[in-house]
This record gives sequence, structure tokens and C-alpha cells, in this order.
Amino acid sequence: MLASILASGLAVGAVYALIGITYNTMFSTSRVMSFTAGQLGMLGGVLGSLFGLRLGLPWPLALLLTLAAGALVGVVTEFVAVRPVLRSLDQHLYVLSTLALALMLQQVTAITWSTEPQPFPRLLGGFGEDVLDEKFWLPVAACALVVAGLELLYRRTLVGHAFLAVAEDNFAARALGLPERRLRVMSFALAGAVGALAGYSGGELLLAFFANGPHLNFYGFIPVALGGLGNNRGAVIGGLVLGLFQQAANFAVGGIFASVAVFTMFIVVLLAAPQGLLGSATARRV
Amino acid sequence: MVTTNRRSLVLGGAGLAGAAALGFPRPALAQGEPLRIGWLAAMTGPSSAPTVGFNRGVVFAAETINAAGGVKGRKLEIVTRDTQGDPTKAVNATQELISQAKVLAVWGPTNSGESLAVTPIMARARMPNIHPCVVDSLIDPVKFPNAFRIAPSNTQWDDAVRGYCLKVLKVRRVAVIGDTTGYGVTAANASAAAFKRDGAEVAYQGNIDSTQPDMTPDLLRARNAGAQAIVVWSVSTGMDARLFNTRARMGWDVPIVGHPSLASGEIGGLIEKPANWDKVYAIGYRSCSYDEAGKLAPRSQDFVARLKGRVTLSDTLLWWVAAGYDAVSLVAKAVEDTGATTNEAIVKYWNGLSRYPGIFGDYTYTPQEHNGYPTDDVVMSAANSGRDGSFRLAPGYG
Repeated sequence: MLASILASGLAVGAVYALIGITYNTMFSTSRVMSFTAGQLGMLGGVLGSLFGLRLGLPWPLALLLTLAAGALVGVVTEFVAVRPVLRSLDQHLYVLSTLALALMLQQVTAITWSTEPQPFPRLLGGFGEDVLDEKFWLPVAACALVVAGLELLYRRTLVGHAFLAVAEDNFAARALGLPERRLRVMSFALAGAVGALAGYSGGELLLAFFANGPHLNFYGFIPVALGGLGNNRGAVIGGLVLGLFQQAANFAVGGIFASVAVFTMFIVVLLAAPQGLLGSATARRV
Repeated sequence: MVTTNRRSLVLGGAGLAGAAALGFPRPALAQGEPLRIGWLAAMTGPSSAPTVGFNRGVVFAAETINAAGGVKGRKLEIVTRDTQGDPTKAVNATQELISQAKVLAVWGPTNSGESLAVTPIMARARMPNIHPCVVDSLIDPVKFPNAFRIAPSNTQWDDAVRGYCLKVLKVRRVAVIGDTTGYGVTAANASAAAFKRDGAEVAYQGNIDSTQPDMTPDLLRARNAGAQAIVVWSVSTGMDARLFNTRARMGWDVPIVGHPSLASGEIGGLIEKPANWDKVYAIGYRSCSYDEAGKLAPRSQDFVARLKGRVTLSDTLLWWVAAGYDAVSLVAKAVEDTGATTNEAIVKYWNGLSRYPGIFGDYTYTPQEHNGYPTDDVVMSAANSGRDGSFRLAPGYG
């Protein structure tokens, strides 16, 4: 039982963490919580199945195309749902615009793909058995790769430093001559690819299903809130803890009550640490 | 100058009286007009798969009847309105069918959510309505004297599943699992209560979020509780497939019995091995089940032969096509046998039907009972035996 909790808990937790990183990456350069994050995860599964199973492409090519499509959706999100509302951030219009785009993505997928869950290809031909099955460790591996990649990007590259500068203070970054708008588009492309990778790596577990979007939106947001907004390390820890807690609750109390247990934990943590476990309280000029 | 004398007046009057006695040539509108049947069809949207199947039967029935000269010389016209599975659109379409299209009767909607919204509207207009929706409360001859059900109700499904578990599989301890939708929760509760009423033990009862990726916790609890069969109430094929895969990984040889979705063709692509789908029994119908020799009942066999080359069965279910065919036939038969097209005449005719031999089943309606499908014809099918829309009868039936 413990092995099963660990295997599936870490796997879904890693998917949640990746969606949390997607939220954070988009937020860092725009101050917008884009509710397309979960839909990007859903699209990762659907496109992975489309390229890998329906079109029969080899999995590396299918992965590449899926990530490219995710990046494209990220860019479209920036142009369609984020850029027009940036001037009135304080009115939180982005909630409406990103939710509307998310719903459109979901409905288009339902109409053009299927309303029933569709199979996702076995990527490595069924590597590993039982709790070591590839469907359990692939999301964890993908999450580790993304975290390592982002650390490298942010710490070792000029573009990464520019991202951080915009995230820290976009007015100052612009004053320094950084192309803030282009950097924002790039960060949305990056977030799109990360979101699509979440769905692709978890495809064997979650299947290619149009209704995964809201589910991932919801459970992907919890690690962000738990770990602290904009904090990727917090999102990873929050996601993995959430996955393990959810799976343990499934064993202990079952379906409906497991969700209640998850949200009880969520509320208790936020009451104790409103800025998230790893978040820091920010001063705001009033 | 025109003059009128007494003779011409008398002659004219006599002529008029004679013409009246013989009957003026009335406008040929009513006679030549087609008989319109309303069809509330969710042709697009998430719940369109059954409707597409029903529609094939509807079109086939109308074409067959019209090719044979129609009903009392009048052609049948199916007035289809795509509701997209949306109750609001179904309400608008119903009002339009009643007040604008002036249909004789309405077939559909095909899902209970829409039907709950439109049944009272049709009752107010006394519109004869026949539908295949399973929710029990949709049929109430006092509140909705015009509404008739062509398919089994939820209770009839429940009876069939329970009967198979207790009488054929001869198990006494069951696990009842539903998804977390309103339907899943209600159906699982009703099923568990009925098992207990019949003296069986419900060793485990639970509701699972259909997107839950791993079903091990629930099946482990069911196994530890000593369940000898698992009863599943969910329309989620993803959840069904995960249950089968988990059962196989646990090496648990327990039968799974329940909702028709357990036999959905989509599951074939979602199971890890074909054998994972063995020992799964889904609700089916005797008329649309084949025996060990692969033979359907003679009436169904004949129907399938007639459909050949005209209607595709490989991507739908035979019962959907058969029920659509029967629904149109029932309206046509009412007009044919009574010679009337009024609401009252059609409802009265249906109320008097006793074992009307349809393709899907033998329907019996009375003024007090509008659930016309025979419970004994609701059977279990081997879920993985789908072939051209029909399934093999589950083992244990005589």
C-alpha cells in the first residue's frame, strides 16, 4: 500500500508541480495568474496522443511537436488574453480573459478530439513494472528535468537574468533597456512548453481527456498557493506533498472525502502561512 | 344589368345545397400534408453518440414507411431539432415543435437532463411524447399522462444488475462503486439500498472521482472487505478502464457488473491488456444480444439484414438504432390504426398497447404504467464482446 501511495502520489504530484511552475512562469513576467495553465496540461496529453498514437510518430518527435504546440498556445495566450488587460491589472480582468480562453481551448478540444478519454501511447514500451512502471516515474523525471533546466536558465544565462529582472521590477527592467514585451512573450512560450510537458509526461496516467483541464487548473493552483506565488521550488514541494497527501487520503477515506481532506489541508496551511510555505511577504507601497 | 328572379334564386340555392351535401372539394392541405414527428436530438455535443445511433433508426423507419406508401397515404416527415444536449436549447426546440411545426408527437430527448426540462412543457401541451431516458421520475402517468418510456428505467437497470449478481453469479457480498457525479452518487446509493433489501451484504460502497488516476485504494478496500462482485455505476469510460486495469494488476479475479458504459468501445483502447476486460458484464438487452453461436433473436436478425448496406452498425449500438426505429413506428402505427392524428387519440392508442412487437422489445403500456419495456428483457452482456452494435449474452442465462 505504501509503495502504491508513493508511486502514484509522487507521479500526480509531479504533474501538479509542473502546472504550478506553468502558473509561476507566466506570472513572473506579467503578474497575471493565467487559468490556461491546466488546459496546457490537458493539451499536452491530447496532442501527445494525437502525434504519437493517431499519427504514429516516434515519441521524441511527438514530444517535440507537443512542446512546440504548447509554446504556441502560450504565446497566443499572451497576445489574446494577457496583453489587452495588462493596463488594468488592478481590476483583475485577466481572470475573465484567461478563463474565457481556457474554456475555448477546452470546447474546441471536445469538439475536434473527443469527449471520451482516449489512450496515450506507452512511450518507452512499458519500461518498469508495477509501482516502477514508466507511467509513475516519467512525470517525476520530467519535473526534475524542468526544475534543473529552469535553475540553469535563471542562474547561468543572460535571458534567464533578464527574466528575473522583469519579474523583480518590470519598470526598472524597461528603464534599463530590456525588451520587456518580448521577454514576456518568451516566458509565456516557455510556460506553454512546461504545461504541455506536464500533460505529456503524465499522459499514461491521466489519459488524453479534454476534461483534464479544469482538474489540472484546480490542483495545479494549490502548489502555487502552498509554495508561495512565483516560487518554483515552493511549487515543486507543494505539488509533491499535495500528490502524496491526496493519494494517502484516497486510501484512508476514499474518493469524495479525499477531496475534502485536500482542501481542508489547503485552508489550514493558508491560515497558518498566508504567503505560502516558501513565499515571502512583500511590502506594498500604499 | 344583372337581374335575379325567383327561379334563378331557387336553382342557385338548390345547387349550393347539393354541393354542400356532396362535399366541397376541400383544400387538399390536410390530406396531402405530411405527418410530422418531432425529434429532439442531441446530434452534436458531448452526449451525441447515442443520438447519432437513434437517428439512424429514425431515418430508416421514416424511409421504409414512406417507401411503402406512407401512413394512410400521407408521408412521414421527421422534424429534427439539434439540442446539443443542452436543456435550454431543448426547451426552445420543444416549444417550437409544438407551436410552429405542429408535430403529431415528439420522440426524445435522449438524455435525462434535457428530458427533465421539457417533460412538463409537453405535458401542458398534452403532446404525445416517447423517450428512452432512464430517470425514474420522468414517467408519471398522473403528472405526465402524455409521456411514455421506450427503454428501461434506472430501477429496471438496477433490478437486472442485482438479479444477475444474486441469482446468476450467486454472490452475497458486493462492492457498489459510483462516480462522483449526481448520477453516480444517486445510482450507487439506490443500488446499495436494493442489495441490502434483498438480503445481500454491501461490503464496500464508495464514490470515485472519475479523473482519479489510480483506482488501487478503492479496489483494495473492496477486496479487504470481502467483496465477491463489484457493481459499477458510472458513465466514465476512463474510470471503467482504470478499474479493469487495476483489478488485473492486483491479480483479483472478481466479476465487475453494471452500467452499459462498461461495454463502450472506447474502453478497448484504454485497457492495458485485452484480458483485463474479461469477466465484465454490462447492462444489455435480450433483443440485441447474440447467443454462443453468434445468433441474434429472429426478429433482430431480420432487422439487421434489412439494415445491411443502408445503415452502419459498426460504430454504434444496435439497441439505439432499434429503439429509434420503434419510436417512429409507434407513432405511425397509432395513426394507421386509429385513423386520427389528435394528441388524445395517439395517447389512448399507446395506453392500450399490449406486447406490441417492436424490434428493441415488446412494449406494453396501460393508463397506469408508461414504463413499457419488459424488465425480463434487460440482461447482462459480456462487455468485451461488442460486434456490430450487439453483444454476447453474459454466461448463466437460459
